[in-house]
Amino acid sequence: MTTIPFLYKTESLLMRVLPLPVMLGMLASLCAVFWWVPTERVQGPVQRIFYFHVPSAWCCFLAFGLASVTSAAYLWKHHRDWDNAARAAVETGMLFATAVLITGPIWARPIWGVWWTWDSRLTTMLVLWLIFAAYLLLRAFSGERDGGSSGARFAAVLAIVGTLDIPLIVFSTRLWRTVHPAVLKTSEGGSGLSDPRMVTTLILCTLTFMIMFAWLWALGARSLRLDDQVALLEERGDRLAMATGSNTSTGEATV
Amino acid sequence: MLTLLARDLRLQFRRGELLASSFVMGVLMLLAFNFSLDLSPDNVAALAPGILWVAVLFSAGLAAGHGFVGERENGCMDAIVASPLDRGSVYLAKFIVNLLLLLLFEAMLLPVFGLFFELSVLSVLAPLALVLLLGSIGLAAVGTLFALVTVGGGGRDLALPILLLPLEVPLLIASVKITRVVMAGGGFPWGDGWVRLLLGFDLLFVVAGWLAFEYVATD
Repeated sequence: MTTIPFLYKTESLLMRVLPLPVMLGMLASLCAVFWWVPTERVQGPVQRIFYFHVPSAWCCFLAFGLASVTSAAYLWKHHRDWDNAARAAVETGMLFATAVLITGPIWARPIWGVWWTWDSRLTTMLVLWLIFAAYLLLRAFSGERDGGSSGARFAAVLAIVGTLDIPLIVFSTRLWRTVHPAVLKTSEGGSGLSDPRMVTTLILCTLTFMIMFAWLWALGARSLRLDDQVALLEERGDRLAMATGSNTSTGEATV
Repeated sequence: MLTLLARDLRLQFRRGELLASSFVMGVLMLLAFNFSLDLSPDNVAALAPGILWVAVLFSAGLAAGHGFVGERENGCMDAIVASPLDRGSVYLAKFIVNLLLLLLFEAMLLPVFGLFFELSVLSVLAPLALVLLLGSIGLAAVGTLFALVTVGGGGRDLALPILLLPLEVPLLIASVKITRVVMAGGGFPWGDGWVRLLLGFDLLFVVAGWLAFEYVATD
């Protein structure tokens, strides 16, 4: 199967360009979070986790959004590259979603006094995590026996339907109850981030996380692509071995 | 489409084991809840709506996959997909069958539910039936869409409930909330946000299923 040049080139470019910026950005973010940014007056040092928590959340939304768009492209074009792009996006998104679910409780324990509460945003995040965990499970279960194509189609539908479901989940859980702080827009219309350095740190961390996401996504998509090629080569090798197998008599020549 | 609908209905009712197993499963869940939550007259009113819906949700989730099991065994699905019938209509036919089965299951479970927990189901029957209907439409829509997953076999039967439940979270919350209002004798809360949510969920998934079936059922 031919590759989609646009996807292939994007992956290659991201893989080549991003490692250094990600490394430097991460170093800068860590320095900013732990030394440069002032400690929040009310919450104390634990508030610093916010600079990783929020960018992770944004990245995971970006990832799941990308997954549903590429899934739609896959259903439309039936090209394996789109499926790989979607799968890589979900895998990367799950990483960030897990980071959100881990950093959240660490902050919540000293501030709210509990590790977890059934608040709108927390519940939505958890349900989102479960939907895309189901996506990965589906991929794992469907395997590659049928060329993975029916599994890929179901997964694509799940990614799209799951994304459509998000507004309903948000709406329902918000109607249910909410206590999560809305940091960026408080009810008085001002920002919860009092010091300009806090805003700068948040922007720096967000940029770092975004390019880290792009890099991880490219790596994931490329490794899936390589998996496909290995499978293709193995198949070709098998056929070759079968064609010439009458005199070699062993299956050693399969790779 | 009507032919397919009639055929599926006939098949399901002739065998009937799906309905029977769902019913037993539902009753078992009521039993399990009774013991695990230590129900008594003073907490039953608060907990009963949730119990009813969790029992319905899980029984429906487990049963959802089996609608297509017979199709897989005799390769019937291939024939249906190969027929000139529009796949959207196949989805609608399967959806209606699943919905009817689900409603029948609920009709069987409801008396047991009322009996076990000493709730006067009869006095609020009309609004309660409406909530069950609206909830079931959503459940049947999601279930039918992903039931085809199990046709592939393997560990996929396991994946189905895992896949369905997170998607059904808004439906569960809304249904339980409305049921609580209804069971308290408040009538059907038409203008409520929850009702709108439930209707939105139903509409979204029936349409999404109808559109997506085109892409899913191409084996």
